[in-house]
Amino acid sequence: MKEVIRIEHLNKVYATGAVEVHALKDVNLTICEGEYVAIMGQSGSGKSTLMNILGCMDRKISGSYYLEGIDVAKQGENELSRIRNQKIGFVFQAFQLIPRTSAMKNVEIPMIYAGVSGEKRKKRAQQLLEKVGLGARCHHLPNELSGGQKQRVAIARALANDPAILLADEPTGNLDTAASHEIMDFFTKLNEEGATVIVVTHEEDIAAYTKRIIRFQDGCIISDTGRRETLC
Amino acid sequence: MLIWENIRLAISAIWINKMRSFLTMLGMIIGIFSVITIVSLGDTMRGVVAGEYENVGTGLAYVYMTTEDGYYTDNDLFSQQDAENLREAFPKELTYVGFNTGERLDVTVGRTTEKVYFNGLAKNPEAMKKLKIIYGRMLSNQDIEEKRNYVVLDKDTALSLFGKENAVGSTFSVTINREERELLVIGIYENTDSALMKMLSGGGTKTAYIPESIYVSSEGNTQWTLYFIISPEVDINQTQQRVVNLLSRIKNKPVEQIVSYSAAQEMSTIDTMLGSLSAVVGAIAAISLLVGGIGIMNIMLVSVTERTREIGIRKALGARMQDIMTQFLIEAAIISALGGLIGTLLGIGVISLAASILGVKAVVKPTVILLAVAFSAVVGLGFGMYPARKAAKKDPVEALRFE
Ligand SMILES: Nc1ncnc2c1ncn2[C@@H]1O[C@H](COP(=O)(O)OP(=O)(O)OP(=O)(O)O)[C@@H](O)[C@H]1O
Ligand SMILES: [Mg+2]
Repeated sequence: MKEVIRIEHLNKVYATGAVEVHALKDVNLTICEGEYVAIMGQSGSGKSTLMNILGCMDRKISGSYYLEGIDVAKQGENELSRIRNQKIGFVFQAFQLIPRTSAMKNVEIPMIYAGVSGEKRKKRAQQLLEKVGLGARCHHLPNELSGGQKQRVAIARALANDPAILLADEPTGNLDTAASHEIMDFFTKLNEEGATVIVVTHEEDIAAYTKRIIRFQDGCIISDTGRRETLC
Repeated sequence: MLIWENIRLAISAIWINKMRSFLTMLGMIIGIFSVITIVSLGDTMRGVVAGEYENVGTGLAYVYMTTEDGYYTDNDLFSQQDAENLREAFPKELTYVGFNTGERLDVTVGRTTEKVYFNGLAKNPEAMKKLKIIYGRMLSNQDIEEKRNYVVLDKDTALSLFGKENAVGSTFSVTINREERELLVIGIYENTDSALMKMLSGGGTKTAYIPESIYVSSEGNTQWTLYFIISPEVDINQTQQRVVNLLSRIKNKPVEQIVSYSAAQEMSTIDTMLGSLSAVVGAIAAISLLVGGIGIMNIMLVSVTERTREIGIRKALGARMQDIMTQFLIEAAIISALGGLIGTLLGIGVISLAASILGVKAVVKPTVILLAVAFSAVVGLGFGMYPARKAAKKDPVEALRFE
């Protein structure tokens, strides 16, 4: 199988506060095309830190990160923007919808930066919202939507440019059980359609949807169920 | 295509914060408003003065005499003979020679008394004053030569004195130079002067034209000022000099003591005045645009901070630095240009209103409008640069964490 993500000797140190925080310690990880991965671990174990790095948003790291064989550290700012835009769909823990902007417009944003023309953009945004079951809520503003609905808008937005990799940082963290399972069902479907899906979660039953569980503790991987079976 | 998207984004951002955007624009509005108003005021003034000389041309000139010691004698005044000498010496060069004989006199008809401003017209009166005659006729050369007691009235005066506009054939008596005269109305005209000119000429609306010959006697030196109109076919300055030289000979006065001004000179005086005015306007513009620009920069910095999360989201979703930069630059430029546009419209409004009250034609040059709006947009771009760069440089991860 084709390897999508490879991380070697990844270290991340936050030096912003009075004390340095060593958030990731010598992490090595390989994820292949079409994998369905859960990342688990206690609060503060470095999950979000890893997701930000995987999402090409944080480059202040040591070690190396290859995305589809490309050395991310060697890419320019604009190239990174293009990768975030085209290759990666990111679902944030806190929804991160742009306020006072309709669901539709929020979904259109990645397509705007991809240069998709207005008409096509609207049509696709509509389709995506229908796909996540929000066809009737296109013109609602974020503050007019429930938590689950917001998260589904965020997912629709993450899928806008048909990314090969979907990164979701605690997508169900703010949702009740029913809504959480709906979203996981959706991710499962996407994975079956061929997308590489990586989900951060605290909950075992959410992780149970995936095919590989990686556990973090204090910035280190302590277990990885998929290491043997899915080696590339 | 991204530009349009950015313009729409900017407009909705401005619309969401209507009040704040408006207050930010205020600096720009006031600045551009004052520039447009002052510049157009100057242009309008110039237009009015130029319009005033329209019939007679800029060849209208006057001449008077001064003395070395400030004591004036009879010889320092002009006579009808002097005027006639000029007419004879320059039959082709001067289309009109006459005196400044305006005087406000009481006219009583029945029980109504009106103050009417009487003007004397010399030979070839049409050259000096083109009247829009609506009844009867204009004064002729013959009327003037034969010192006929004729008068041409404006229609408002006729109406208030005789109760009708067409008062041709009516008579009234008036005391001119301590001599009572019975004047026959031979013509009625309509005053086409602007309200401003009526105000400036001090004549009010009630004006009458009489032969100058019945006002200025043919004997003796009685007039301070001599008016003449130089034909457009000859050089104004040169002809003016020749007139002065001739008068110097006739009156036996040194050339330096004969002072003459032409409308052309007055126009150039006004132009110089407007020139220094535009320097002042330039200073006002610079200061107000600076203040307006700083206001825009300030509000854009606030906006960038407030929207840190939005910036983070956009970057995470694939916006490049230049995309964020243009978004905020365009927003700043639109706020600024919109302020400039509002200021321009206000300025045009005020100028047009003032002009219509004064009855003059407002002159607002399109280039001034274009410059004002373009310049304000440039100010927006200039002062928006720093906040926009600040926005573009934000780190996506940190921006997303912003509370
Ligand atoms: N911007 C930052 N500056 C300083 N320290 C940070 C920063 N972001 C994260 N950290 C620290 O790095 C460590 C890992 O944080 P991270 O957010 O990756 O944890 P997490 O596993 O996602 O936790 P949670 O499950 O609560 O979301 C924590 O100790 C945190 O305090
Ligand atoms: Mg986290």
